[in-house]
Amino acid sequence: MSLYLAAFGFGLVSTSVLAIAAVGFTMQFGISNMINLAYGEVMIAAAYASYGLNNAGINIWVSLLGGAVFGSVSSYLINRVLYAPFQKKGTALIGMVIISLAASLMIANVLLPIVGYYSVSYRQNVGPTFHAGSIALTGVQLAIMGLAIVLMLVIHSLLKLTRLGKAMRATSANPTLARNCGIPTRRVIDTAWLITGALCGVAGTVAGMNSDTFAVASGAGFLISIIAAAVLGGAGNPYGAMIGALLIGEVTEISAAAFSPEYKEVAAFAILVLVMVLRPQGLLAKRGTLAAAG
Amino acid sequence: MSDSAATPAARPAPLLWAEDITSGYGGVPVVRGVSIAVGPGEIVAVIGPNGAGKSTLLKTLVGILRVSSGRVMLEGNDVTNHSPEELARRGVGYVPQVQDIFEPLTALENLEMGGYLLPQASIRGRVDAVIEVFPALAPLLKRRADKLSGGERKMLAIGRVLMLDPRVVILDEPTANLAPQLADTLLGEHVRALGARGKAVLLVEQRARAALDIAAWTSVLVSGATRLEGRPGELLERQDFEELFLGASTSLTPVSGSEVEIA
Repeated sequence: MSLYLAAFGFGLVSTSVLAIAAVGFTMQFGISNMINLAYGEVMIAAAYASYGLNNAGINIWVSLLGGAVFGSVSSYLINRVLYAPFQKKGTALIGMVIISLAASLMIANVLLPIVGYYSVSYRQNVGPTFHAGSIALTGVQLAIMGLAIVLMLVIHSLLKLTRLGKAMRATSANPTLARNCGIPTRRVIDTAWLITGALCGVAGTVAGMNSDTFAVASGAGFLISIIAAAVLGGAGNPYGAMIGALLIGEVTEISAAAFSPEYKEVAAFAILVLVMVLRPQGLLAKRGTLAAAG
Repeated sequence: MSDSAATPAARPAPLLWAEDITSGYGGVPVVRGVSIAVGPGEIVAVIGPNGAGKSTLLKTLVGILRVSSGRVMLEGNDVTNHSPEELARRGVGYVPQVQDIFEPLTALENLEMGGYLLPQASIRGRVDAVIEVFPALAPLLKRRADKLSGGERKMLAIGRVLMLDPRVVILDEPTANLAPQLADTLLGEHVRALGARGKAVLLVEQRARAALDIAAWTSVLVSGATRLEGRPGELLERQDFEELFLGASTSLTPVSGSEVEIA
């Protein structure tokens, strides 16, 4: 039993990392109709940007900010330079997915000669270990959970309370009608990429902080869990992504305790397949969301 | 209307005016050489069979589709191929036939988005003004828009457009999904009221009779071209009107190059 409780604790940390990442990923799809397969590589690139700062002697939490800025600016640029021009030409969703896959490979291959194949670790003081029953978490892990909660509340407030956030939801729901209302959808989408890119950069860095080491090759693994969480919750829905992250995060850690860590992702995808069979639109999305968006 | 037919007043100077426009979705043009004008306080109805290009014409006028030839004038300024955002800013409001609201947003948020271009401070006042026009929306403001009934939804869609107090209101088949009684109320009361308040109203309608009842001017669009236009009373008097309109989908061949008849 205590083993499962401990796994539940780790699951909360995984959930936190995954939630930050999946909310950004799903908002990119919701607002600009882009399944951005380069998301995992941008996370890794941002993790390395933070690593560069951290390695130069800067505190990891300050470096995290640098990673967020890097993720934000690079995501904005990828959309502006690569995705938006193709979308403007009327490239179909599947074509856009291929383009993002190409972007992902390009980022990985630009990154490799710069940072190398080998795994790196942040210089961080993980702080004292806190115990609650059989749950044992480090100070850094608790801080990551706190950060995730704060970021989710910030995103929630942005979407529900601010003019910009409502315009993002309006653009996501019906971009043509948004333009007819006078909403400058291009600027709204640009801003959405800056915000989701920052989430991507934070997620990459905290993922690196939570695991002992990371390397360029880690991006693909991140992406798979992120897609699982986003689709599970209902693609395009940030609240769905949060719930999806919780399910995927907990199932992977608890199954690792129950069977073997090798089966982590198998268990997560078994859940995903089950949900897709019972509720193909995802947990929170309305029926047909994916079809309508595609 | 009988009184307008008896004393045919001159049409007001046009506010929105399209001259000889051709447009479509990139392939063969759907709308070919259509001219249409609507002035302040005037309700202009565009009727015609399915596939005549009525919705395409409206989408072109509001900047969603590109004009490939011809021009669109707004208050004497050339606004051909201006963006939808720009036309909204200049006072052209558009209610599409479907996807006319932001479904996942609440009714109030829909109105706020309708007023996106307004200063934050004046939004509350405009919402109140829209509620005055559609009192039925008042208790529904917190509700998600996709939970509204067909009639409520259309009121919200029109209310959203009224947030900017546009001078031109363009309505694409507002009664399409409404029960007959609701449709009559919407056209006979609300749309007519828009005209009475000085808006230039351009209306596409499947319910041709109901549209003719409230319109001051009517265009019959067939196969992407204006087949006939005139005052509703005069149109109705024509022997061939019924056949022209009701039989149009089966009997009329494309009329490219033919002269537009003026009733």
